[in-house]
Formats: sequence, structure tokens, C-alpha cells
Amino acid sequence: MILKESTIKEIKTRMERYPSRRSAILPALTAAYRQVGHLDNAVYKEISRVIEIPYVEIAEAATFYTMFPKHEVGKYLIQVCHNISCSLRGADNMLIYMQEKLGIKMGETTDDNLFTLISVECLGGCSAAPMMQINQDYYEDLSREKIDTIFADLRAKAEEEGK
Amino acid sequence: MQGRNGLPVCVKNMSDNGKEKEQVTLTIDGKEISVDKGTTVLDAATLMGIHIPTFCWHPKLDSIGACRMCLVDVEKFPKPAVACATEAMPGMIVRTDTDEIVKARRGVLEFMLLNHPLDCPTCDKGGECDLQDNVFHYGIDKSRQAFTRRRVIDDQTTDAFDDKRIGPEIIRNMNRCVTCYKCIRFNKEIAGEYDLGAYERGNHTVIDAAPGEQIDNFYSGNVVEICPVGALTNTDWRYKIRNWKAKQTLSLCSHDADGQNIMLWHDQRQLWRATSRRNDDIDDGWICNIARYGYQYINSPDRLKTPLIKKEGKQVPASWDEAISLISKRFKEIKDSKGSVCLAGLIGGNQSVETAYLFNKFFRNKLHTNNLDYRLEYIDLKGSDETEAYNCLYRAPFTIADLEQADVVFVFGSNFIKDHPAINLRLRKAYRKFGTKVYTANPVETKSADISLDEMIYSPDTETAFIAGLIHAIIDNKYYKNIDETKAAEVKTMLAPATLDEAARLCGIEQERIVNLAKVLSEANNPYILAGDYFVASAKRHRTANGMYDLANLLGIKDSNAIILASQANSMGADRVGVRPRLTENLKKTLIDKWGEELPESPGSNTSQILNNSLDEEIDGLFILGANPAMRYPDGPFVNSALDKLDFLVVADLFETATSAKADVVLPLAGWAEQSGAYVNVEGRYQKFEKAQDADKGIKSGIEIIHSIARAMDLSLNLDNAALMHETKDIVDAFEREARDEAKFFEVKQAQIPEHDNYPYRLLVGNDIHHFGYVTEHCPSLMRFTPEPYLEISPNLAEKLGIDEETLVRIESTTGKLVLKARFSEYFEGDVLFIPNNFSATEVTGLVSREGGGWVKIEKLDDK
Repeated sequence: MILKESTIKEIKTRMERYPSRRSAILPALTAAYRQVGHLDNAVYKEISRVIEIPYVEIAEAATFYTMFPKHEVGKYLIQVCHNISCSLRGADNMLIYMQEKLGIKMGETTDDNLFTLISVECLGGCSAAPMMQINQDYYEDLSREKIDTIFADLRAKAEEEGK
Repeated sequence: MQGRNGLPVCVKNMSDNGKEKEQVTLTIDGKEISVDKGTTVLDAATLMGIHIPTFCWHPKLDSIGACRMCLVDVEKFPKPAVACATEAMPGMIVRTDTDEIVKARRGVLEFMLLNHPLDCPTCDKGGECDLQDNVFHYGIDKSRQAFTRRRVIDDQTTDAFDDKRIGPEIIRNMNRCVTCYKCIRFNKEIAGEYDLGAYERGNHTVIDAAPGEQIDNFYSGNVVEICPVGALTNTDWRYKIRNWKAKQTLSLCSHDADGQNIMLWHDQRQLWRATSRRNDDIDDGWICNIARYGYQYINSPDRLKTPLIKKEGKQVPASWDEAISLISKRFKEIKDSKGSVCLAGLIGGNQSVETAYLFNKFFRNKLHTNNLDYRLEYIDLKGSDETEAYNCLYRAPFTIADLEQADVVFVFGSNFIKDHPAINLRLRKAYRKFGTKVYTANPVETKSADISLDEMIYSPDTETAFIAGLIHAIIDNKYYKNIDETKAAEVKTMLAPATLDEAARLCGIEQERIVNLAKVLSEANNPYILAGDYFVASAKRHRTANGMYDLANLLGIKDSNAIILASQANSMGADRVGVRPRLTENLKKTLIDKWGEELPESPGSNTSQILNNSLDEEIDGLFILGANPAMRYPDGPFVNSALDKLDFLVVADLFETATSAKADVVLPLAGWAEQSGAYVNVEGRYQKFEKAQDADKGIKSGIEIIHSIARAMDLSLNLDNAALMHETKDIVDAFEREARDEAKFFEVKQAQIPEHDNYPYRLLVGNDIHHFGYVTEHCPSLMRFTPEPYLEISPNLAEKLGIDEETLVRIESTTGKLVLKARFSEYFEGDVLFIPNNFSATEVTGLVSREGGGWVKIEKLDDK
């Protein structure tokens, strides 16, 4: 079993709120994502058993939403907006810089398993473009210097937690 | 009204459940029309003969308005609307042909072609593709696409066309897809299957099997047929022949009893494919994989092409003249020396009704014997025929389409999807669209019971106790209709077990559930009881049939609503024309009138009695036409020794079989597609099928074979094909049946369950889901679904015995032994095992016997 007892319990509690079991698919996926860090077929199978909805429908719902990563990702998932406003404000250059800085290409994870870099569509932070989201937090008005600081801070934080 | 491919268009509102509808009047392209309330603009336009192009619309699926191809202009609507999902409203003014609409549809098509590879020359759908037709009509000859086309490549895509095999028979090409979702909607809405899905979204949408799985459900062939483009194609047909070069012939499924209508596509050389030929009375346009791929045995290279004669213990090729004169000589000898009662005939349930009739006429009228039967796959009763109750229920005037009006359906002893694919879909439709409640009672958990409100599993061999329990529940709770208390008390004394409590305990189902079913059935306005193959194959079926008869009478169920379903394509036809030892008075009279002669007086023998008499040397000559009892009759040792004992055995068949191996003369037989004729389906519906191609020169049809034997014996049947067809139709039409007598009740007594101390597990033997009878192993497509025999076992029992999937298991009964690979069942939970009897390599019937039932023990074979 991949899902922990507590996650299953959370899913079951959410299920009770809806008149139909189908409605519980997204909350269940969210709960599983929060625990596991990503979603894959094994997770869909387990959710399917818990909420008694066919496996294929769980997979359909999960893949519809790009916000759920479908492969294992690093500790920090960097989602860089490259939609119009951010692109006009230099998002593409930021992306090139980040790839150089981390030594990985788009969609890859660093060897130390800390950073995964992907680009996404509009995150609704246009007023502070270019911007990105790392896990649950927004980082706005990006510049090379700012990126250096953010990465250094996160590395330090990870090291701190690792001790 | 004709639509695409000359098929009728659905103009009837689908939710029309026999009730009068309110009318609405609207104007389409300047003309007024009145339609039922609830009709869509698209259906209304179709009624007027106005063609509106579609991709995602399908008459039998719910409209979702996904493809946007059917856009029309509706006055006062701000934007064009989709005709397929817009309900006709009073006073609505619709235009289907404005410049704006043409432009909108062209825009939709331009998007559909963005990533389309435009590979029509190599696409199998060419010529029957909606995309081709619509692009042709709206004439888009320029592309504004400035980017490279999207490719859909993953580790399983096979070639330059981005093809991916997503099922045993299905290839997907995503670039051709217009995301109409018809395949997925069919799968979920109609078949209730969840092995195909649409992943990602928008431009990235991918149609694929469930991750890590295959689309291999029993109705999966339909998704290819309803695909409006070349995104889904099947390997059966791919790259073999262009559809406009194939001839089409009206035909029927030659396997199960539902009578699904199919179209055979062929040329002079061979059959190429079968597609559905929608008949709303039977199949609604959906056919099962056996109907779709089950034609392939006709093309098999293993077909018998020359007669064989046994000489010095070995079968050697011979000429037709030699074979026929030998048969005539030996039959004459037996007839003259021992009398015609020593001759017998058995005919398969999928021979045409004309063949069955001629067979009957040859044996009864010319050879003067009543020893003939078509029921070769079930254990027969002790007497020469079924009981009155059984026959009455078997011939009930049931109609498949009427199931939609049922409010409660009780399916008794049947894995419906396997036994009756078309009725199963009809039941699902009734359940989904009209809220029909379904209850099931079976010896094992079944796939088709997923719509069942209560799936009751009775212990093996306790069908009679179950139905006796149900009758107790009805009487105890006064749920009965039409009879008084005294009568009810009297009926109660005719039951064994004598109380509900005992009955419930014996069949292992809680009393409350039986009482609940009794209550639901008694409260229903239009309840149905349908009995299928588990019921029919049970040894004590006549006892259970008595119970079903009583049950129907107690609850006042309509005569047409309680039926024991026939199992093969022409079982009902053979019954109608009298291929059985005992005939109804009405049929006797019809035959005497037709033949101008009395019928033979001897009592006649059914299948079991014929085999028994052969063992006692009372039957010496047997003619088996298109049947394989050695593989299918559920008592291998018995049938084998009986066939060995015969003086003279003639077998006519398409292939060499276990039965033909024992024959003195083997005749190559033509298949159903090589002759024209008719089948009578489970409802008693007479349906014709046409000849698609000529058989090989060395092969003769059953009718020709019977005629040549008769001629050689100087017993001319004097019937050309047209006369035979007429005469058969007359006999079928003259069918009369006495309605169920509502005041009559029979004894319902559970038989002793055989001792089986050392053999703890009940073995069920029957058709695999993707096979039917003994010919489907010659169908390559079906073999891709189930390539080899297996032992189906519940994961629980397997764990208890330490058996893993794919491990070899020895199965042993009092009569035989067998070693097979274990396969975990998705459905079974108890100590019940299943082995398919569709594979000539496994002599599974050797494990079961008429007396001891099918009790076995199993053990894991040691790894060596």
C-alpha cells in the first residue's frame, strides 16, 4: 500500500460530503498527491479501491489536471510561468538561466533530487511577472540575482532539514 | 428512411417508452414540423430529410455536443448552437444552411485537420469515413497550419504512422482522432466497461486503454465500428481489402441464440469482416465480439475438404460417391436387419432451420425413426423429453425489446453477458434508461451482475432449493396473486425443502434476501424471470423448471415474461420443426398434413438415450451433422464409449473433431456463410441469412448431404431448395403453444446432492467469454482474446491452496484427470472452479459425469 491510513481516512471523510462518489475523485487525488508527492498508476488503483470508482476514471481525471505531477519529482517542484505576460517580461531568459544554474533541462530533476524544473501556463501572477511557483509558494519579479538567492536559501533549508 | 451506408436512421425519440408524447412545432429551413417533446433539432431535421453533418452524435448514445460539427443557426440565439444537444422548442426557427453556418463548420473541420496526417491512401477507414465525407462536402483545400504536426509516440507505438495496439484486436492512431468520445461513451454507457479512457485534455487528449491494461471487453469491437474516422481500426480487417471493393451480404451471428444481425464483407476469395446490421428489435446495432470475429472459422485453412472413410482402422480420403454409397449401403443394412429404430440422428444447434427440417423429414418420414435430437450440450432428462413445465417456459413468447418495459428483472442461473450478449445489453439499457431493477441468482459471481441490486450466490446444485425457498417466501408472506389460501397451503406441501429456513440454509443465502426478492417481484407491475445456461446445464433442471412455473403462476407473471432461454443460433428453430423425439400434438398434425403420411410409432430417443442405447447395442447407425458431442456433451467417458460401440458412425462437420475421429465416414460440411437459410432465435423470430460465398469444391451443405444420402437409398425427398424453404417456413409459422396454465402447479423437490466427500470443489464447465461452441478456436481474432484453456479459480481459494497465477494445477475427478494453468478470476469468490470447453486440446468433459456431477479436487503440481 502506498497510501497511509491517515490519507485513506481523509479521503473517506471527504467522500461523506458528496452525494455521489465521483465527486470525491479530485479531493482524493489531492490528498494522495500531498502524501506521495506525485501521482501514478499505482496511486490511481488504490484510490479506485477506496472510493469504488473505476480505475480508468481516476486516471482520466488525474491526467486532465496538469497541476498533479505524474512522475516522481524533486523536493522542490519549480513551476515557471511562460504565459504572455511573463514571456514579455523575460520568462524565457529566466528559464535558460535556471537550466544553466541547476545543470538540468526542462522536465528534469537535479542529481541530488532537490529541484525539478517545469514550465507552466498562467499562474495568475501577471502583475509581478516574471514569476514562478515552488511547491506551494509564489516567487515574483524574478531576476538572476533573485533566483540565485532563492535557490541558495532552499538548498540551505534542505540541508538544515536533512540533519 | 436511409442514412449512412444505407442503414436506417434513428428517428424515434430514444426515451419513448411506449407512452404518448406532447408535440412541439418548429421551423427548420423554412418548413414547419411537429415532433415529440424532447426531440433534438438534429433528429427533427433528419425526419425532414435535412442532413446535418456530425461526428460525436450517435442514435443510441446520449448527446454530448463534443465535436461542434452539427452547428446550426437558431433565431434569437446569440451564437450557433449544436443541433444534437439542442432540444426542439415551440416556435423555434432554425437554419442549417446559412453562410455563417457553413463558415462555422469549415472552421471546426480546419481544427480537426490541424494534426491529421491526411494519410487517406493508407487508412482503412477510407471510403466510410465521416471526416473524409465532411471535408469533401465543405471543401477545405488550404491549410494555415504553420507548425509541425503533433506526433503521439510512446514506447509502444510501432511504426511511422504512430500506430499503437491498445487491445488484442484494436489499433489506435491518435492523429486521426477527432475526440468525439464515441468509443468511450459506448464502453461506459452501453457496455458498462471501464477499460478505455480519454487522458490529458484539449489538443493533448489521448484515447487509450486503462493505464497498463488492454481494451479487451466482450463488446470492444463496436468501438472500432462507431469510430467516425480512422483513429481506431481492427487488425481483423486492416490493410486487407478496400471496403468499396468488398461485397456485402446480409447475415446473422451463427453462434448464440440472440440472432444478432450482421453484415458480412467478402469477395470471391474469402470473408473479410463482419459488422453490425442494426436491428432495433434485437441488438440496437451493437454486436458482441463473437458475432464480429466469429465468422473467421469459415476462412480457416484447417477446413475439411474431402470425405474420409475408415479403412482398416484408419481414416483415408475418399470420393463423395464412394462415401455416400457406403453410408447408404450400411444404413440400409442396419434398417433391413435390425429395423429403423436402430438408426439415429443428431444435429448441431447452429445448422439452418431448413437443414434441421430436412434432417427431421429424412429420419422421420424416410427412415421411419424418432431417434433424433439437437440438444447435445446438456445432460438430458430421464424421460424422452423435457417436462411440461420446462417446454412451456422454453417456448414462451418472449421479445427482447419488451425488456425495456420491465420494472423488475430476475436473472436466474446465467452469466448473461456470456450466454445472451444482446439480451444483456438490452437489460443494461433498461437499467440505465428506465430504472429497471435487476436481481440475480447464480452459482458463482458473474461479470454481468454488476447492475444487480442483490447478487445471490447459491451453493452448487441447489437451484431447486433456491426456487422452493422463493415460493415459501411468497406463500408465507401472502405475496401470491390469483389463488386462495387453501391452494397456497396445498402448493406449500409440494415443496422440498419443506420450509424457507431449510431451503435458505441449503442454498446458503440469508432468508431475508430471498424474502426481499419475493416482495420486490410481487410488487412489480411487469416483472420478468429469465433463466440462462447455468440453469439449463444443471442436471436437475426439470425440477427447477417446475419451480419457475409455479413461481410465475403465484406472482401472476405474464406468459411472455418467464422464459428459459435457448442457447444456440437455431436451437429454437430445431425445436419448432421437431428435431426431438417427442412432438407436440399440434406439430404432429402439421407434419402429417405436410407429408401425407403417419409418423413412426416408436417412442424415440433423445441424445442421452441414443448414446445409452448405443452402449446397449440397440442403436447401430448414427448420423451426426455439425456437432461435436465428444467435446461438448458433459460426460466424456460415457459419450466416448457410446460412440466407440456404434457399428456405423457418420459425422459431417467443418473440421476434424474429437467426434469425427471416431467416425466410419467423415463428410466435409459447408458453413452458414456458404449457403442461404434462416435461423429462429431465442424469441422464436424467423430471420433469413444469405449466402456470402461458394464453398470449396469438395465441400457440401447439410441439405445437399441429406439429399444425396436419401437419393442413394432410393428415398427421394423430392424438395428443391425453394420448396424446402417454403415448407420449413410453413412449419415454423404453424407453431402453436399452449399458454401457461395459471391454475396449474407442479412439485418442486430438491434432488439429493451427490456425495463428493473426497472431491470438495464444484467444477463448472462452459463457454469462455470469447468463445462459443467448438468452432471458435479456428477464429484467430478470438484466439487473441483467449488463446488457451485455463482453470479459473477465485483468488481466495488459490491463496488457501498456495496456487499462484499461471502455475500448473492438477484437477482430478472420479472420472478423469487434467492439468491446466490457473487463472485468477475477477469475479469468483467461493470454492467454485471453471474450465472452458471450447478447446479441443483439453478433454474437460472427461472430468464431469451425469451422475456424480462435476465435483473435483485440485492440487498444485510440484515444480520440477
